[in-house]
Amino acid sequence: MKNNETVIKFSHVTKTYKLFKNDKKRLLSVFFKNMKCKKKKAVNDVTFEVKRGEAVAIFGKNGAGKSTILKIITGVCFPTEGELEINGRVSALLELTSGFDPEFTGRENIYLKGQLMGIKDKEIRELEQSIIDFAELEEYIDQPVRTYSSGMKARLGFSISVNIRPEIFIVDEALSVGDEEFKNKCIKKVNEIISDEDVTLLFVTHATVVAKEFCTRGLLMKEGKLIFDGDIDTAIEKYEKTYKK
Amino acid sequence: MHTLINIIKEHIEYRHQILKLAKADIVKTYRGAALGWSWAIIKPAVTIFVYWFAFEIGLRAGKDVNGFPFFLWLISGLIPWFYMNDMLTQGTDAVRKYSYLVTKMKFPVSTIPTFVSISKLMVHVILLVIMGVIFTAMGYPPTIYWIQLPFYLLLNFIFFTVFTLCSSLLSAISKDFSNLVKSMITAIFWLSGIVWNIDTIKIGWLKKILMVNPVTYLVEGYRNCFIHQTWFFEQPKRLLYFVVIVVCMLIFSIWIYRKLRKEIPDVLN
Repeated sequence: MKNNETVIKFSHVTKTYKLFKNDKKRLLSVFFKNMKCKKKKAVNDVTFEVKRGEAVAIFGKNGAGKSTILKIITGVCFPTEGELEINGRVSALLELTSGFDPEFTGRENIYLKGQLMGIKDKEIRELEQSIIDFAELEEYIDQPVRTYSSGMKARLGFSISVNIRPEIFIVDEALSVGDEEFKNKCIKKVNEIISDEDVTLLFVTHATVVAKEFCTRGLLMKEGKLIFDGDIDTAIEKYEKTYKK
Repeated sequence: MHTLINIIKEHIEYRHQILKLAKADIVKTYRGAALGWSWAIIKPAVTIFVYWFAFEIGLRAGKDVNGFPFFLWLISGLIPWFYMNDMLTQGTDAVRKYSYLVTKMKFPVSTIPTFVSISKLMVHVILLVIMGVIFTAMGYPPTIYWIQLPFYLLLNFIFFTVFTLCSSLLSAISKDFSNLVKSMITAIFWLSGIVWNIDTIKIGWLKKILMVNPVTYLVEGYRNCFIHQTWFFEQPKRLLYFVVIVVCMLIFSIWIYRKLRKEIPDVLN
């Protein structure tokens, strides 16, 4: 196993959001350079590396920049400064309830998502049944997604993401949805996935207990900065300390 | 230049997905209605009837053009306009509509206008086929000039795909732009000689200005095939103007794309 290979590498990554007074100003700023705007650094000079097979938890208060980091890794948003390197198929659970086409049925969405990720139809067909079974949608699978409850969408989203055999698996607060039984099933499934040595897990959560189950390493973010990178127990301890203040 | 190569690369890499999404876009437009697919025909048919009624019966302005009945002249301009209209409205909203492709997964944003455009083009082609049948049924069978139809189809496709590349990005940044485009549609429609014959204008310089309008060029192009029986190379100057406009717009679109590509995911939800 190539266990020492780096799959995610951030070097001095900064993400600045431009805040305009309104959308009109934003539109004008495309054409005129001197439009005033506030700048907010959501991620500020973050450097870290993740090796293949590692399971890393990212902690931090709301607005600390965790989700932005995950979005950058997913390739959805781009760093303003710094460089990053990603190797492998990324499967992300960013806000589970979205990312579906509401007009299509659950089954069609499975295909659409798979195709968009570059998976061949044949492979999707093989995975289809296990995705449906796992999501426990039964006859709802052939109904348009717009008729789904948020719990159903979340189950389908989770089910697709875990079943497409990801190489880099990103979970963003996902396990907080669903009832206790489904939650346990998810935890079991995530454990199963990361027991494969080649799968890298990135886990963003406030639930330190769950994080402890999967992860060996913890990152702690505060106001866009990475303030701690080390073993999970120390990370949780520090995180809980900042919370109490 | 670098950006253009990137865009082309993305299109090649995602060609299968583009086709799948184009298909999905067509399916989505017409499904969920009881009459489903027939709306693709009914909607344009109603519009055609209204204009025909207003001009031929109401205004009594429906004169034959080049030996063809006014009705045939009218549909040969209105049918390309339906595609243009779709692109101006739905094309401009494309990135907003497909925001989940931008904010929820890694997907090349530059291909969104393309697959929406392909989807609208397919509907357009179906309407063109029906139009061909109508021409034949009314006693005007296909002529040799019809073979240049794919050429004008291609020009139409390129023009509006390039246009929506910048318009859909700008409208994602601000709804103002989307409203601006939509408020211009009526003006474009009435000024481009789609439902009245631009040849009837007597003022030379005004006619020239109107002819530079790319929408007019495209509509006249379709009519070259069906009505005027003129080859595209018989009007080299007009073609040149059109190409210059397309190239300018392409440069502008790429400039916009380069500026906004990285900002779009931050402003959409």
